[in-house]
Amino acid sequence: MISSHTTNTSDTMPVAAGRQSLVQRLAFSSEFGLMLLIALAVVIFAGTLPGFTSPFSLFTIGRQIGIDTMIGLAMMAVIVSGGLDLSVGAIGVCSAMAFGWLMERAGVPLYLGVPLAVMFGAGLGFINGAVVVRSGVHSFIITLASMSIFFGIMIFLSQAQAFRGMPPEVLGFGKMRFGGLLSALLVFSLVVCTVLSAFYRFTSLGRQMLAAGANPRAAEISGVRTGRVFIACHMLTGALAAIAGLMITARTGAAVPSMAGHLGQDWLLPAFLAPVLGGTLLSGGRVAVFGTFLGAALVNIITSGLLLMRVGEFWIQAFLGLMLLAAVLTDRARHKLLQRRGMI
Amino acid sequence: MKKTTIRLALSAATLALTAGLAFGGADTKVALVPGGPHPYFAAWEQAGADAVKDFGIGAGDYRVPQKWELSQQSQLLESLLTQGYNSFLIFPGDAVGTSPVVQELVDNGGQALALAGCLKDPTPALFCMGTDTGNSAYLGTKELIKAMGGKGKIAHFTGFLVDPNTQLRIDAVQKAADETNGAVTVMQVIADIDAPQPAEEKINAFLAANAAGVDGIVTTAWVPAVTAANSLRKIGDKRIKMVGIDHDEVVIKAIKDGFVSGTMLQNPYGQGYIGSYVLDKLRSGCTIKADAPWKSNALTTKFVDSGTVFVDAAQADTYVDAMRGISKTLMASMDKDFLACK
Repeated sequence: MISSHTTNTSDTMPVAAGRQSLVQRLAFSSEFGLMLLIALAVVIFAGTLPGFTSPFSLFTIGRQIGIDTMIGLAMMAVIVSGGLDLSVGAIGVCSAMAFGWLMERAGVPLYLGVPLAVMFGAGLGFINGAVVVRSGVHSFIITLASMSIFFGIMIFLSQAQAFRGMPPEVLGFGKMRFGGLLSALLVFSLVVCTVLSAFYRFTSLGRQMLAAGANPRAAEISGVRTGRVFIACHMLTGALAAIAGLMITARTGAAVPSMAGHLGQDWLLPAFLAPVLGGTLLSGGRVAVFGTFLGAALVNIITSGLLLMRVGEFWIQAFLGLMLLAAVLTDRARHKLLQRRGMI
Repeated sequence: MKKTTIRLALSAATLALTAGLAFGGADTKVALVPGGPHPYFAAWEQAGADAVKDFGIGAGDYRVPQKWELSQQSQLLESLLTQGYNSFLIFPGDAVGTSPVVQELVDNGGQALALAGCLKDPTPALFCMGTDTGNSAYLGTKELIKAMGGKGKIAHFTGFLVDPNTQLRIDAVQKAADETNGAVTVMQVIADIDAPQPAEEKINAFLAANAAGVDGIVTTAWVPAVTAANSLRKIGDKRIKMVGIDHDEVVIKAIKDGFVSGTMLQNPYGQGYIGSYVLDKLRSGCTIKADAPWKSNALTTKFVDSGTVFVDAAQADTYVDAMRGISKTLMASMDKDFLACK
């Protein structure tokens, strides 16, 4: 049996939760600061940048939020266990390339190709998890190595050639929009967020992941087979990374080896930014699924705003770093204030 | 007052209709967007600025994605459309993967040319203008074979594998070697080294192991050309012949000093300048002629060669004039053969 005070999902406060109303809990949740920042950014950019609220702009921002949310969720799923996965980009690209091969070369129908690609990603995650658990070496080192191995094998097998013969439905999904501005990729990400949130809250495996991440020894004593649980975390990361890779494939209409940069490293910043901004603890044991969504939303809204303000493209990375620092410090200050007032 | 306003509005509407709803000039805002940071594209910045000055267009801005990554380029292009740019000169990050975002630009009132690299047909880009990379690599290899005395082993150093031009270059070098009936062989192709670190690492490692066995080097990307020219200078052995690409100072100086036989110049400035001109003309109401004399390559049937020329020691001081001449000819050809303007 896993006790509730060690297994926190995004909207459960460990102490005094019972004394607070739902509104109070929402107001003092990790996500609240993010929502305020998002609202502030939207108001500033909408008021000062004429094109920011155009349907096309909102559609493209939403689509990118959808993709970055999925990348963030992939990393979040392993951060929960107190580990991390530097190969998340490599897994995403490898899975997308596997999907491309299944579609273009093997002639597999779309309804089979998608789950097979996701299973392929989960399989690569299984390799990571099994090596981490068996070797006892920190996941940082193992996934640093597997990042190069996965990517290298993919480049060798594909000869770095893109798979471009995608069924029209793939690109159609990437371009699909509701009401002229709401990207289908964003809606899909929100659905995945809902499913994941329910998974961590209501399923035994989800709660075991949180427990094993918070205190592996205590979880072990409670009967949780932490080794298997950690492997499951890596498999979930692999599956979500594969979904992110498929979403980018839907956006570009092709499985391109460079979609996540060299070795998949271009995914690392959004992979960490979204969950950390969202309130997922790097030490494990606490997950913030919708916080990850909000983190990805904040990053993309600010990035888009800065691009529209014609801040040099090379400065945007620096702004993102500053934003991460400011958000973390603000969040710490808010928590200290609430602790002083005995509200958490 | 109200009547006057209505009359003014009607007059403006009539004028717009008379002009065939054409825009252009100050209304044309051109964005020149490479696939990522690279010295080859630096000339586009001046080309855009000169186009603004010479053609009176509203903007001719060179905007570089932070990294060589397709999604970074797509995000930048989407943002540029939102910023009000309506004409795009794009080096495609991927021959197919860039098409969807270009289609979105077009669907939202923009127009685009693929510049320096092509999109695979069918494409929403109006046409592709760039170096006939295959031909350039072929001619460069022929020059190298001539410098080698018609026999020997050559190494080919080239660019990013994700660059749509790279495979064309590899095939062209092989074709030139095959035409010698075995007298010349391509002993090694080293690709994906159009960045300083991998170029240094792989070219120096190759020369350390094979300097005695290789007779010629052909480079078909900017950074490998610079790195190989430097390496040959360090070795100090002028036995190994080399033909490079582009006009980096290191390469030009190596040609003058005899370490490099020559270089195949491309025309990045002309691409940006003429591309801006064409897009402005199209926004002004011109159309592309149905019988325009397109060339074809492996990716598209609507290709315009922006020109290439071999420069050896004899032309090392005057190559700029040669490129200006090519640009002038191409500009005249655009007006005469490709554009139909009323």
